[in-house]
Amino acid sequence: MSLKKFSELFGDLDSINSTNSKIEVLKNYFLSNDPIDNSWAIYLLTGKNNKRFISGRYLKNLFSQIYEYPHWLIDTCYLKVGDSAEVITLLLKNKTISRKKKLSNISLNELLSETLPALSKLNEEEKNLEIKNLWETLPEDNHLIFNKILTGTFRVGVSIGLITKSISKLINIEEEIISHRLMGDFKPSIDSYEFLINKNINLQELNSKPFPFLLANTIEDKIFKNSINDFQFEWKYDGIRMQLIKRSGNVSLWTRGQELVNESFPELVDKMSHIKDDFVLDGELLVWNFKEQIAFDFSLLQKRINRKSPTRLIQIKYPIIFIAYDLLEINGRDIREIKLENRRIELEKYFSKWQIKTENNISDIFKLCDLIFPKDWPDALTYKEKSRENNTEGLIIKKKTSIYSSGRKKGIWWKYKVDPMQLDAVLIYAKGGSGRRAGLYTDYSFALWKDKELIKFASAYSGLTNIEIKELDRWIRRNTIEKFGPVRSLKPEMVFEISFEKIQISKRHKSGIAVRFPRITKWRKDKKINDADSLENAYELMKKI
Amino acid sequence: MRTKQEYLIRYKDGNLYCELADIWIDPSKPVKKALITHAHFDHFTFGCEEYISTKETAILLKERVGDNIKIKTFEYGEEFKINGINISFHPSGHILGSSQIRFIFAEEKWLISGDFKLQKDQTCKQYEIVKTDYLISECTFGLPIFKWDQSNKIANDISKWITNSPEKTSLLFCYSLGKAQRLLNEISQTNFKGNIYSHGSIHKMNNIYRELGIDIKDTIKIENKKKIDELKGSLILLPPSLSKGSYLKNFKNIQTAFASGWMSIRALRKRSGYDKGFSISDHADWDGILEVVKKSEAKNVFFHHGDSEALSKYLVEKESINVLLFGK
Repeated sequence: MSLKKFSELFGDLDSINSTNSKIEVLKNYFLSNDPIDNSWAIYLLTGKNNKRFISGRYLKNLFSQIYEYPHWLIDTCYLKVGDSAEVITLLLKNKTISRKKKLSNISLNELLSETLPALSKLNEEEKNLEIKNLWETLPEDNHLIFNKILTGTFRVGVSIGLITKSISKLINIEEEIISHRLMGDFKPSIDSYEFLINKNINLQELNSKPFPFLLANTIEDKIFKNSINDFQFEWKYDGIRMQLIKRSGNVSLWTRGQELVNESFPELVDKMSHIKDDFVLDGELLVWNFKEQIAFDFSLLQKRINRKSPTRLIQIKYPIIFIAYDLLEINGRDIREIKLENRRIELEKYFSKWQIKTENNISDIFKLCDLIFPKDWPDALTYKEKSRENNTEGLIIKKKTSIYSSGRKKGIWWKYKVDPMQLDAVLIYAKGGSGRRAGLYTDYSFALWKDKELIKFASAYSGLTNIEIKELDRWIRRNTIEKFGPVRSLKPEMVFEISFEKIQISKRHKSGIAVRFPRITKWRKDKKINDADSLENAYELMKKI
Repeated sequence: MRTKQEYLIRYKDGNLYCELADIWIDPSKPVKKALITHAHFDHFTFGCEEYISTKETAILLKERVGDNIKIKTFEYGEEFKINGINISFHPSGHILGSSQIRFIFAEEKWLISGDFKLQKDQTCKQYEIVKTDYLISECTFGLPIFKWDQSNKIANDISKWITNSPEKTSLLFCYSLGKAQRLLNEISQTNFKGNIYSHGSIHKMNNIYRELGIDIKDTIKIENKKKIDELKGSLILLPPSLSKGSYLKNFKNIQTAFASGWMSIRALRKRSGYDKGFSISDHADWDGILEVVKKSEAKNVFFHHGDSEALSKYLVEKESINVLLFGK
């Protein structure tokens, strides 16, 4: 089976919007291709590994060198297209359309298991020649896929869930099992594909399967009509939502994104395996400030997430904790159908037992989520407003009589988040977007007043509608003061309301402050630049916390 | 070197203007005398005292502006004189009746390319190479990322797109004048043998094309009350203005596509909101523009209608052609 088939699959998936049609297309692809090619296809589509053989810049330089093409021309084209692999693909069309060389019909497997690995072993000169040779012998409609794989930028609008669904349909086995089979390390091979489509379910393999997560809805006004005593209140932590599973003695950590992350947090796996009971806990993983008993910023947790087998030093520097919200299974007994208030009683009971009976001290890595007990709804509001002080995002409100169902079920759990902080700022720079936003100015920088000067304080990309983006793009082109490469400095005229979650001192920025998750929440056409906020206003926000 | 005011043709109020003949080319506001290169809406305006064009353009123009306009027509290649300037129309290959316009005054030749393409198109006359001293060229697609495929390849892709989804109604959006007729002509030569419907605005243009002797496949005028089942597996041609809004609610189980040169870029394709894009254009691609610039033997070139920065720099650096800028 050829690379061409995979190119066609990519084209189809790229141009179909309906989920059902995508599943159908995938199913048909799997049916009509070899197991080994299917295995590679799944590997690429699920983004398991995007190894970069050469960089986008290298690709552009190579093209420029081989075909004597000016760099500036390639760069101008890039601004329009927003993707190196695609620019070179489009430019190659000009170069290979009249070629005479015999075309090769290489398979996806050959490309990924032979051609590309061999490429990495060549010296630069040989490598360049080989890429040129591939460009000239691969059929034109394979160029995009080839260039994307080469630069490690292969991506398509297909989620793991979609792959899971299509394989589930293909062999008529429930999705959760396929989803589990796809977890962890997936090495493309005939075996791994055969395992994936095996119709016999091995009970062992189900053993570490997490339950579908129950998610909270945004707060609704009608909730305030109910008695406060009907609800359980917890802090909303900003960490990794996780199920901590111990079955048949084996511990597994599953994130809400259905990733098995045992390797990133070995100290937690180790400690929990000393507990005598089997269980499934729903909770949150955080990097914990033990002195003050509050969570550290999410940015510290990021230092742990993608690091497998962290050193002892890393473990000490970024100490983690698992905060349990809920108990879903105990010693093989699924208790999700029991009321929340009773599950909480079970959870507390077992937690005290484990604290006493477990050989190693577990409380330095595992604790229960403290409950909050507001007197009435205004009191709940006060708690919510205080949540920034302990680094939480607000409150989670759970109905005491609810069972643990799945998904974003209405009327069971709510999130009551703190309002974002806001400042009105002036647009001063714009930069061309990439990918889907190529050719439009979509990356913006905003400034606040300091005396008579505008000082940049944040960049934001999201929040405008497509119509607003186009309108602003036209304005930007007409009101440019200077161009620096892809960046334009702009006439200070437009005011936007910028919302963000956190504000802190930063020595790295000229403004002296850094904000988290800045986003545009309103185009303040009603405001003149003199109405925009000053850095003073920003410092005041900081004092309030 | 001459100042901008001394050029035979220059930019005035955002339009091309020849002062010596007091005549405008494709003006966007009402004027006394207007030369019209072709009948697309962005190339003429209502209310000019007198229009001058090719015969085909005149017929299309009357359809759009009304019968009561004063319009003078000339054959391709036929020279006429205004204030001592020799003017003639030449085929530009863009759509039926489209033309380049040549001016000759005191042995100096000027050529306005109009919108043009070099690609084969059975619904209009092939682009004619015209030699000139000064060339004013469009450059809508003035970057080397634009390289058109043969139109029969695109037609085959469209045919496959429809027949691969026999349960669906395929809506293909395209400009009602020119692109629609070219697509019909090409699609009728593919394996697709199902029904083709077209929107009233397209249907009207098809009829004019046919009356002017162009071979256009018969299509059914789409009625709002068509039964859904009848439309299954068929192709419907619609103008892009209907792609947003409530019109699409008339159909069930649809797939949509847009036929335009811009669709060759993935980001634009994604942003357009159509399921699919077919990259077919009635404008010249990068190579097409370069070929025309070279074959016209023009020593001086102006560009308009497009981003000309890169193209200009390329011509100056690589081809040593003098590219001039309009003072707008």
